[in-house]
Amino acid sequence: MLEIDHLVTGYNGVPVLHDVSIKLAAGEIVGLLGANNAGKTTLINSLSGMYAPISGRILFEGRDVTALTPRQRVELGIVQVPEGRLVFPEMSVRENLLLGGINSRARTHRSRQMDVVLDLFPRLRERLPQNAGTLSGGEQQMLAIGRALMAEAKLLMLDEPSLGLSPLFVQYIFEIIDRLHATGLSILLIEQNLNLTLRHAQRCYVLERGKIAVEGASDVIKDDPRTRRAYLGL
Amino acid sequence: MTEFLQAMAQGLLIGSTYGLLALGMGLVYGVSGVVNFSHGDFISLGMFLCLALYSALALDPYVSLIVTVPVMTIAGGLVYWYLIRPMVGHQFLMVVQLTLGLSLVLQNGILMVFGGQPARTPSVVESKLWILGDVVVRVPHVIAFVISFAMAIGLYIMLRSTDFGRSIRAVHQNAHAAALMGVDVGRVQTLTFALGIGILAIAAALLLPGTPIQPSQGLRYTVITLIVVALGGMTNFVGIMLGGLIIGLSEAYGTIYLSDTMGMLLPYGIFVLIMLFRPQGLTWSSAR
Repeated sequence: MLEIDHLVTGYNGVPVLHDVSIKLAAGEIVGLLGANNAGKTTLINSLSGMYAPISGRILFEGRDVTALTPRQRVELGIVQVPEGRLVFPEMSVRENLLLGGINSRARTHRSRQMDVVLDLFPRLRERLPQNAGTLSGGEQQMLAIGRALMAEAKLLMLDEPSLGLSPLFVQYIFEIIDRLHATGLSILLIEQNLNLTLRHAQRCYVLERGKIAVEGASDVIKDDPRTRRAYLGL
Repeated sequence: MTEFLQAMAQGLLIGSTYGLLALGMGLVYGVSGVVNFSHGDFISLGMFLCLALYSALALDPYVSLIVTVPVMTIAGGLVYWYLIRPMVGHQFLMVVQLTLGLSLVLQNGILMVFGGQPARTPSVVESKLWILGDVVVRVPHVIAFVISFAMAIGLYIMLRSTDFGRSIRAVHQNAHAAALMGVDVGRVQTLTFALGIGILAIAAALLLPGTPIQPSQGLRYTVITLIVVALGGMTNFVGIMLGGLIIGLSEAYGTIYLSDTMGMLLPYGIFVLIMLFRPQGLTWSSAR
């Protein structure tokens, strides 16, 4: 489904990611781990098309998407739930969801998709007319995920969904991720929370200073001493 | 007392159009952070286009809108796409300088084509008056008031309930997140700028009947617009319309009760006073 092929990305010509290659099969849930500043957010934003790579390719469903704009990628189904949620604070929950489905592929059946999202997050249904800025952190995370689902994501990329949430909400969000996975959605899960990610992802990549340090099935990676070392930046 | 009411009527009627002028600038500022110092010269351009259409085809300014609105909208879109967009995200002052340069180009372009003599564009309603008790209002002012408020309400509804309006607000609130949702930020900014200039074409026709025009007037309109936008809190819809009314009123009262020069100063004095006590703008309720 997704194939990142020797990707080098950076800002102003200074590379942040060096030669990163990642594969994700359809229906798979893959974790991307790493400490702060390892390059996780840079990677997810390159997948969304926010910067042009220095070299390397990104293939999605067999098609080279490296040169596509963010909008074209959303239309193909590559959708991100950004770090810090970034809901539109002065728009209602309903408007946030409608905006999520603004791309040309999703727009035509937004009301049907909205029912799907609201069934997944009944809490959002109660909050529909409320401004997103007045929601709790956990509710904003639900909204951010719901907004991405409104875009009819085929590949859902979550950037630090557990950030700043209470343990109870973290658990809830990961249950939701499992449920989405069970519906056949492909998921790229970017996290700092090592144990949680290893538990929910089938395979993981560990990013260390812009390079892939370790990769493999979650239960293998778990016992690899290099994982914790890369993670702690030792 | 009659004088007082007379000034109030005139101030409110003209102030509504000032509000409309400022809404365009506020929208542009909201989505791209650009403060357009050639705003007033685009109003000038709109007025002189009406003059040209009157001279060539004897069109009434209100009828000229059929031509000036599309022409100015397209011109606005092209200016943003080719001149301003490449500068956005760099130095704020570079954009200021660019729009100031554009102001000079427009002003002198108009001067070259139309010459420096004050000119007038007649309209059929120009000298029509309505007499309400002791107060006499000019029909063009009433038309300006009605259309300005209708436009403001229309814009408000557009922002609230269309996809284009929602993408404008999304870009304003968080451009990065909007891009991640598949909103083409550059396109939204360009269309908003085009919309802002298109609104100026309408405002120009509303202000035109009975007003002598000259190429150097642009800066005055830019300054009035800037004041109104700042009073309104830059991106606050209700605040901006209210700011327009306040500036319209202070102009009208200044002209009636104070000497010529002092009267011209009154709006600025009131602006400074309000900014001293409410630097965040007039209103609280946000309509972003």
